Amino acid sequence: MAEERGYLAVSGARITLQCLHHSASCREFQVRCPRLQLRSLSAVTCCVWLVAYGLFVVSQNSMVLSASIFITLIGLLAYLHFVKIDQESLLIIDSLGIQMTSSYASGKENTTFIEMNQVKDVVINEAIYMQKVIYYLCILLRDPIEPHAISEVVPLFQSSKPRLDCLVEVYKSCQEILEQRKKS
Amino acid sequence: MAYRREGNQEQLLSSIISTVNSHKSPACARQAHRICMVSDFFYPNMGGVESHIYQLSQCLIERGHKVIVVTHAYEDRKGIRYLTNGLKVYYLPLRVMYNQSTATTLFHSLPLLRYIFIRERITIVHAHSSFSSMAHDALFHAKTMQLRTVFTDHSLFGFADVSSVLTNKLLTVTLCDTNHIICVSYTSKENTVLRAALNPEIVSVIPNAVDPTDFTPDASRRDNNTITVVVVSRLVYRKGIDLLSGIIPELCQKYPDLHFLVGGEGPKRIVLEEVRERYQLHERVRLLGALEHQEVRNVLVQGHIFLNTSLTEAFCMAIVEAASCGLQVVSTRVGGIPEVLPDDFIILCEPSVKSLCSGLEKAISQLKSGSLLSPEFMHDKVRTFYTWRNVAKRTEKVYNRVASETVLPMGKRLDRLITHCGPVTGCIFALLAMLSFLFLIFLKWLIPDDLIDTAIDATGLNGAWTRKYLRNKKKKENTTNC
Repeated sequence: MAEERGYLAVSGARITLQCLHHSASCREFQVRCPRLQLRSLSAVTCCVWLVAYGLFVVSQNSMVLSASIFITLIGLLAYLHFVKIDQESLLIIDSLGIQMTSSYASGKENTTFIEMNQVKDVVINEAIYMQKVIYYLCILLRDPIEPHAISEVVPLFQSSKPRLDCLVEVYKSCQEILEQRKKS
Repeated sequence: MAYRREGNQEQLLSSIISTVNSHKSPACARQAHRICMVSDFFYPNMGGVESHIYQLSQCLIERGHKVIVVTHAYEDRKGIRYLTNGLKVYYLPLRVMYNQSTATTLFHSLPLLRYIFIRERITIVHAHSSFSSMAHDALFHAKTMQLRTVFTDHSLFGFADVSSVLTNKLLTVTLCDTNHIICVSYTSKENTVLRAALNPEIVSVIPNAVDPTDFTPDASRRDNNTITVVVVSRLVYRKGIDLLSGIIPELCQKYPDLHFLVGGEGPKRIVLEEVRERYQLHERVRLLGALEHQEVRNVLVQGHIFLNTSLTEAFCMAIVEAASCGLQVVSTRVGGIPEVLPDDFIILCEPSVKSLCSGLEKAISQLKSGSLLSPEFMHDKVRTFYTWRNVAKRTEKVYNRVASETVLPMGKRLDRLITHCGPVTGCIFALLAMLSFLFLIFLKWLIPDDLIDTAIDATGLNGAWTRKYLRNKKKKENTTNC
């Protein structure tokens, strides 16, 4: 069973949330950000090259032009490989734990797994981020020494930053699973 | 803080609320405001303004309003915190410049403050303390955003020295288009009206209050073989510590059974330490250092007489707290102090060593002859004078009045600034107001209002905490009915 719904991110970008119900105790949420737009790519490239051309006219040194080409290429690769995240997914399995995967535009994937024993709760929190105050979903980790204390807060969907309505959707689903676990 | 909504209980809850609400319809007919308190000074910093904001907010929450507090970050205390009864506090990461006050540029705080005002759907911005540049900034932005504004002034100022001239000018600018101003005493009102060239009709007087349950007398803690004079204040010039250093040796020579107990910390502590050293009074003058708020009562009840040597004071909570603990108060006759307590509770003196000494001698002779009022009697009297609930009720009236007023549109605001604040300052600030207006338009284009998530109310109508409170109350009622 899969449903896909469109939401807005904090920045105003359109994102889609896909909920996959693999079984009663296993759910997956995938937040997909918009892909790199040709428009923004060409705008940045034009800017860099125009500046480089201006410098070339002033300094009459052709090194500037070749340097600008390399900078654009390396910058683009680095951006796709280290910065631009296309999809973030959260897999929650009742008996096992929570797995977070973020896939970069270049195809690189980053996966973190948290064992269920460590998970204390999943909550929505507020934070001051840049010049905004945003809601974010996070996992509270149990302190191994003191069972009631929280040792760490792991934020989810860090790069896509969905708005509250989307977070509430994911939150409710997660709580259902955590609730099941508590009962059993 | 976690936002939790128990799905199946939701309907049940709303039905409870509707039944409860229908029970007390007259209370609901009252207007519920969404208030944002702004000041640089809030807990964990300690002081009069801080506790004023906290107590007032708590009582307003009790009366069904939504209240949030905005202040700057204190060391690692950043972000959003919730205090008792769901009082939400924003600790904004702004740079602190001087004396816990943030830098004022009139612009850098606009994006964040606008975001907060919109997401919390604020209707009234209430700024505190003229020392706080964040309060001035917030008032300025709130007026640009067409929100209603209230300002509480907690301190008195002079007119003569350079710093007061500048502060007064700034105050004139901020207050000339503020909807309403609250002062803590009539002296303070007079002072503010003169400083900011205001229409006295938009200035209200609402005194501070003390929590009488915190300050109860305890005669058993006193040592009746000696006479103890208590001083609790920050050890700074404004509080007249230099006068105190003159009084201590003079009276200690005259009365061998006289002891001084000084609570508080500050740059003038060195003066007192010198006096203690020179006259060998280590046994009789105890300097306790900085006191936590809850320790103050334990220090007060150890004494017989409370001495206040302030050189300027708008209201002076310390003498009310002392009187509530049953101490005879000796104080300087400055600022709003003569309004605070009735004549038989306080001995007023001129701010000079000689006059204060004779005031203290009078108190000591009364103490020896046993003609002082009993601590219990004083406590019972004082507890009726100043309560936070009363303060909140009166502040609410101000809010209701402000809510019915209109905010000046931009054109009239510029006009008011130019005509009211002098040709040069007026024009400069009119220009700044224009710039901030343009900046706001830019921000609205960058982040439109509908992209800002509305925050879940913690307090006020349908607030998460209010609902919890109602649910608990309902449960209690049910159990008692059963």
